Amino acid sequence: MLRVSALEKRFGGLAALNDVSFSVAPGQIKSVIGPNGAGKTTLFNLIAGTLSPSAGDIHLDGVSIAGLPAAAIGAAGVARTFQQPRVFASLSILENAMLGGHRFHKGGFLACGLGLRHTRREEEKLRARAEKWLDFAGIQSIKHRNASELPLGQQRYVEIARAMATGAKLILMDEPAAGLDETETKELGEMVRAIRGTGTTVLIIDHHMDFIMSLADEVLVLNFGQWLAEGTPSQIQNSEIVIEAYLGSDDDA
Amino acid sequence: MSILTFIKQDAVHLNTARVALFLTAILLVPVVFGIGYYLNMMIFIAILSLPAMGLSLLSGLSGQLAISHGAFFAIGAYASAILSTNIGINPVLSTLLAQMIVALVAAAIGAVVLRLRSHYLAIATLSFAIIVELVIKEWSGLTGGMQGMLNIPAMGALGREATSDIQYYYIYWPITALLLLFALNLSSSRIGRALRAIREGEPIVDSLGIQAAEYKIGIYIISSVFAGVGGALYAHFVGFVTPATGSIMFAIEIIMVLALGGFDRLWGALVGVVLITLLNEYALGFADYKKIILGVTLIAVMLVFPRGLLPGLIDLARSNKYGRTA
Repeated sequence: MLRVSALEKRFGGLAALNDVSFSVAPGQIKSVIGPNGAGKTTLFNLIAGTLSPSAGDIHLDGVSIAGLPAAAIGAAGVARTFQQPRVFASLSILENAMLGGHRFHKGGFLACGLGLRHTRREEEKLRARAEKWLDFAGIQSIKHRNASELPLGQQRYVEIARAMATGAKLILMDEPAAGLDETETKELGEMVRAIRGTGTTVLIIDHHMDFIMSLADEVLVLNFGQWLAEGTPSQIQNSEIVIEAYLGSDDDA
Repeated sequence: MSILTFIKQDAVHLNTARVALFLTAILLVPVVFGIGYYLNMMIFIAILSLPAMGLSLLSGLSGQLAISHGAFFAIGAYASAILSTNIGINPVLSTLLAQMIVALVAAAIGAVVLRLRSHYLAIATLSFAIIVELVIKEWSGLTGGMQGMLNIPAMGALGREATSDIQYYYIYWPITALLLLFALNLSSSRIGRALRAIREGEPIVDSLGIQAAEYKIGIYIISSVFAGVGGALYAHFVGFVTPATGSIMFAIEIIMVLALGGFDRLWGALVGVVLITLLNEYALGFADYKKIILGVTLIAVMLVFPRGLLPGLIDLARSNKYGRTA
């Protein structure tokens, strides 16, 4: 469903990503791993439209989305969660999730200002959609709290509910387990499987090897902006070239 | 109980109930206090509330301040004055037509300027305000230049015109109340929610498939039209306009209104207008040093209470109360 071909991103003379090609099958959990500076987040920014590629192409369900504005890619069915959770802190959890479904519901400036009945019905539908995904993310009971009051771990679930409410076909998750303890990481793994269970495809960056290896259907390894290896978790775990890359980075650290 | 819970469930019902209560009280004022000079002041409060509410919508939802609300007040006033005085269109219609002009100009300005953030918006809209003031002064064939325009027809249509303050009072306050309701509804709707989100993180909003730029331009247009309606109502009430109508000084007074009443609350804008009207009337009316006092007060308020004087004092009162009990 996602096909990345010969993707390249240069910042000045520096290639952050160079000739990277891979594809993701529908309903798969695919993980992107690699040492720091491997270009993982750059890859996500290119797919989501936060950055435009210098060369190469990205297809979502056969349609090229490379270089489109972020809002167009969001509307095409790509949602994301961020490395540092980025919730709308001054809004309630419910409102955060409602913004995910925002684009499906009507109501322009005039209709909303006049408080037309139609707009209010749309608002009810939007609320129902949001609540469904709050339920899914297990945060329905705290929906009226301000998103800023939540600990980081729970803000992640607000992001997930918001992303799912967009009706995304593909969710990009950038290090969702960062800062979580063992139990929380396990719960998050269950959540990611539940996302796959809805038919949504997941592309996930993470450093926690145990987490990724038990979760991913396929793993893509990047190193210094280059495609290094791709395969099932066990293939990757036993790949000498991958082990070497990681040992190398450990020496540096 | 059941009515209360019903109202609580729906922001539109709640807003309508509050504004209806407010308007009823306002409309009863002349019944209780009789007809007097204060009516004139109350009509100006109804008029000035419009640009203030407009700016409050913009700053409360998008977190941006514009210095163009004086200019749009002037455009609304002059456009309606020219359409009714020179072309003979009735004032009700000319007030409405003037808003189409205001909306078009605001859309053009918004499309260019809203790529800029916070204080850049203020500076860009300031230059726009300077241009509008210049055009009004120099294009004397259309605007009457420095002399302005006299004998603008009174508000009305189909041969029925307002002739006394009490009539204006009963025409203008319902208009202001309806626009207040519009602003409150907008603020509590999906549009308000999207704008608050954009204020916190435009890139995240974009990632949700929402065109953030459209919302920013939309609220700027609506906000400017509020000022434009105020201008047209002003022109037909006082019967003349001059370049002082909607000058940059006026735009700064509107910002002062929000500094008093709060930058993010529509009801606060009304309170701010009342305060500044009373200040002008009883303390500063003709003083040469009025500008200095306003300027210094503005700086002082924004340093001590960045959200505005009224919200700042409310916070202070609350924390004192909790401070004592704790």
